[in-house]
Amino acid sequence: MMADEAERLWETHDILALGTRADEARRQRHGDRVTFVRVATLALDTAREARWSSAAREIRIAGRPHDVTAAEQAIDSVVRRAEGRPVTAFSLAELQALAPDRAGFVDVLRRLFGAGLTSVASADVDGLEDLRQPVEAVLAADGHIARFTVARATHESPVPLFLAVRALQKTTGAVRAFAPLPRSVDGSRPTTGYEDVKSVAIARLLLDNVGSIQVDWALHGPKLAQVALLFGADDLDAVPVEDESADGRRRAPLEEVKRNIRAASLTAVERDGRFGVLES
Amino acid sequence: MSIDTIAAGVRSGERIGFDDARELYREAPLALLGALAHGIRLGRHPEGVVTYIIDRNVNYTNICVARCNFCAFYRPVGSPDGYVLSFDELFRKIDETLAVGGQQLLLQGGHNPDLPLEWYLDLFRAVKARYPELRLHALSPPEVVHLSRLSRLPVREVIDRLVAAGLDSIPGGGAEILVDRVRKLLNCYTKATADEWLGVMREAHRAGLRTTATMMYGSVETPDERLEHMFRLRELQDETRGFTAFIAWSYQPEHTELQGVEATAVEYLRTLATARIVLDNFDNLQASWVTQGGKVGQLSLAFGANDMGSVMIEENVVRAAGASYCMDEVEIVRNIEDAGFVPKRRTMHYEIVGDPVFRAREVPRRFGLDVAKHEGEASIPSELASYRGRSRAARDARRSEPPGGAPTSAPE
Ligand code: SF4
Repeated sequence: MMADEAERLWETHDILALGTRADEARRQRHGDRVTFVRVATLALDTAREARWSSAAREIRIAGRPHDVTAAEQAIDSVVRRAEGRPVTAFSLAELQALAPDRAGFVDVLRRLFGAGLTSVASADVDGLEDLRQPVEAVLAADGHIARFTVARATHESPVPLFLAVRALQKTTGAVRAFAPLPRSVDGSRPTTGYEDVKSVAIARLLLDNVGSIQVDWALHGPKLAQVALLFGADDLDAVPVEDESADGRRRAPLEEVKRNIRAASLTAVERDGRFGVLES
Repeated sequence: MSIDTIAAGVRSGERIGFDDARELYREAPLALLGALAHGIRLGRHPEGVVTYIIDRNVNYTNICVARCNFCAFYRPVGSPDGYVLSFDELFRKIDETLAVGGQQLLLQGGHNPDLPLEWYLDLFRAVKARYPELRLHALSPPEVVHLSRLSRLPVREVIDRLVAAGLDSIPGGGAEILVDRVRKLLNCYTKATADEWLGVMREAHRAGLRTTATMMYGSVETPDERLEHMFRLRELQDETRGFTAFIAWSYQPEHTELQGVEATAVEYLRTLATARIVLDNFDNLQASWVTQGGKVGQLSLAFGANDMGSVMIEENVVRAAGASYCMDEVEIVRNIEDAGFVPKRRTMHYEIVGDPVFRAREVPRRFGLDVAKHEGEASIPSELASYRGRSRAARDARRSEPPGGAPTSAPE
């Protein structure tokens, strides 16, 4: 798809036609499968004492480390207790801030991957002036980035941003999953349902070289996440790990995510933080 | 019949039958259902307007003897959390509503045995005397049935008296699913059977009132029973033409006796679209952003809805069951325009009254809904002593009064 066509789609109000196109593109790639991952998120400050449910399929450390040693120690402590589970941590920008220059950044990353880090947890595609350089540093350190994300809602066309992701993928091949919905919005002016489903659909159509279009289940909630699955999304990130909620089994997150996927006439497949399928 | 054949029939304007509706509802892809519904909606409202109303959803009492097991709002008689609003509190709420451009009060409440028909008549008269322009959209069919039983007057007589006192229209609440098997399971069969609910609406339409119709889906009913509900409404609408709009909302399970889980967003959009296809004699379908949130609420505009419902200033019932979405007029209008439609304010009768209020004058933004009662407010107003209550407590109190005690104005 060309940029001008994508821009026209951003202006459309015919979300059903757009959704149908994106859904076709999604089905060509993934059939009726939807993957989801249960994530235990640990705060950096308490990661060394933190415990998590055995149901976690990814352990994610969140928070801005002061220095490389703090980051390394947290990763090391969690990896030792993770029993082989994938451990992801920090954002690309947070890690970049720990290094004085590019060569230093590769060294930082090598230390963290050496401590057992599976992937950098996320990279905001709108948070870095030059996305390619830090992404290439991760590749140079033989590492991965679990997901590429959008930090802030602008209500402007996301097409230039998506094109940048497509170009990045073309040169680096580093984008395994892209989550097009902004993670932070102005509470008095949230993104609309139309903006969200159009973003997901256009991301799917434009990023024909990216495997997964992802929605954050915990952040965006079951309703939007479920609808997004019919507008091009194929992967649900950040499903909480609690197996038993106070309200009983039927309301537990695992049941809820599966129920929502089924109700969209799709098939739920659990994966882990390495994108390995756990059940079919 | 194949989905394609049924879809072609819908596109050509044929009235859909039950079996075909079931086939579509169950099997059609969401986008196809949406496209069929949206096509019908555009045919009916080609001007590209999406309407909304500014009103206040006031629940005058939460004391209720019906005890529907899906309801998180009611309190039994004698509960310390039970309340009745005083006339003065209602007037204050009306003043606030008028201040933000509202013209209507949506007034519904529990089946409180201590509120006789005369209380309602006095209230309506008092409201109309003070606010002659205000529209009273009040008392869903089960409340009318309750008043008919309490006053031992036929439904027709109750409606006529309420209209004489100032009732303008009847909200379509309490319909749940208009199938008695379901109503028995929800413990709402005794408050009003399906026939009783429809009977009140028939009488209301006969009396010249326009009403809405609702459907609460996603509790214990089957998909076929949802369709049966829609077909029963379509049948009555053929007969009376009295319904202005249809509103589907999902059962909200939190804090209810019935519990369970809420139906998903995709089920909502499928149900809404199917309703637009089946209810070919209804002009208006509302988006239920109150239960679905603003985002799916807005997406409803592509699935058959042409109305964003109410810019509510207050809501108690859905909130009690766990949903707490809020949209003020600025947000509703932004969502309508973002979806490519022109926003217009309307009356309860769906007559257009104008452009957004906030564009003509400053209106404070609201990011939360008000509640019926604030902490520290008296739960039962003193004026209730002058009405003849039917609860055991009220009867005991009367028995212990000296002869010639508290006055009564209720003609029982
Ligand atoms: S739904 Fe209405 S009638 Fe039923 S218990 Fe609640 S307040 Fe009472």
